[in-house]
Amino acid sequence: MNLRSPLGAAMAHGSARSGTGHWRDQRLGAVALVPLGLWFLWALLTRPDLGHAGVVAWIAEPLTAVPLALFTLVALWHSLLGTAVIIEDYVHGHGLKAVSLVALRLVHGLAAAAAIVALVAIVGGGAG
Amino acid sequence: MAEFRLPAHSRYTEQPGQHHPAPAGATRVREFRIYRWNPDSGAKPRIDRYELDLDQCGPMVLDALLKIKNEIDPTLTFRRSCREGICGSCAMNIDGANTLACTCAISGIHGAVRIFPLPHLPVIKDLVPDLSHFYAQYAAVEPWLKTRTPPPPDRERLQAPEDQERVDRPSACILCACCSTSCPSYWWNSDRYLGPAALLAAWRWIVDTRDEAQGERLDALEDPFRLYRCHTIMNCTEACPKDLNPARAIADIKRRLSARGH
Repeated sequence: MNLRSPLGAAMAHGSARSGTGHWRDQRLGAVALVPLGLWFLWALLTRPDLGHAGVVAWIAEPLTAVPLALFTLVALWHSLLGTAVIIEDYVHGHGLKAVSLVALRLVHGLAAAAAIVALVAIVGGGAG
Repeated sequence: MAEFRLPAHSRYTEQPGQHHPAPAGATRVREFRIYRWNPDSGAKPRIDRYELDLDQCGPMVLDALLKIKNEIDPTLTFRRSCREGICGSCAMNIDGANTLACTCAISGIHGAVRIFPLPHLPVIKDLVPDLSHFYAQYAAVEPWLKTRTPPPPDRERLQAPEDQERVDRPSACILCACCSTSCPSYWWNSDRYLGPAALLAAWRWIVDTRDEAQGERLDALEDPFRLYRCHTIMNCTEACPKDLNPARAIADIKRRLSARGH
């Protein structure tokens, strides 16, 4: 039997004094992804050669590698923020929620690390 | 996981409920399908059908409910008081949208009029939901003037007309709960998300130039659940029978919080 008053339940968690950074970063990321995404799409569609060697050579150019690194990292950051909100919305079990959020960060962190290592390798001439 | 199914007392049986046909000689018949549940019966909720002659009934849905209760079925239970959209008592889900029965014209609804209690709240009986948590969330934002400066001895606290205008609209909220109970975020997380009605009330005091606790009020709202469960779905603004804009108030709170960080 739960004898806690309705006001007690409504006030139970207090304020975490956080969330604004998450909200702001998600919106900044969305805005940044507009030009970066359009650039990526435009660059892919206008590539004359979509073969492996041609694409690797294109990525190795600094004017490609820099925006591509930005696009990848911003997209992963935006994805992490968005999927974390989905988990917070729908996963209510405390343990499952904590594990899911940690797993989410791990997956996005691994993806970001892999993308950067690949880019560095291509720019440094270690791949291709 | 989030509870996606409706609470047990909101799920009605597929078995047809009671049917109350139109009186003989009725000329303009309209059917009303109304959610019924009596906690004392032990039975599942059901949908009862009532046929009314609109020539013998007032123009609003509340008129129809009163006619049913007075002349056909006195057991039908619902809240009502002012019958002019100022008390918020008769908020319910009519034809798929949360609104006030007293300001909802029957003529604006096509076909049978389907009437349910406000969604995703525990049902007490028939069209009466339990609003205890909703009211507690309103109380949680401390909706009263908080000051440290003593009031002037010879007059009230003054406020510029343009400042009062910013308070006027959110002050018009009647706490009917149409907005909060139309919000999916509130359905899934109402235990922690304050909901549009309470946040609109919080905004009303944040913009009040006489109030001296804006910072504390913003502190209390800055929380991933209390405030940031709002995903700008805007059902709240769509549902408000007073034509208020809780979604805008919530966005303004977020902007205010963001701005104070730099």
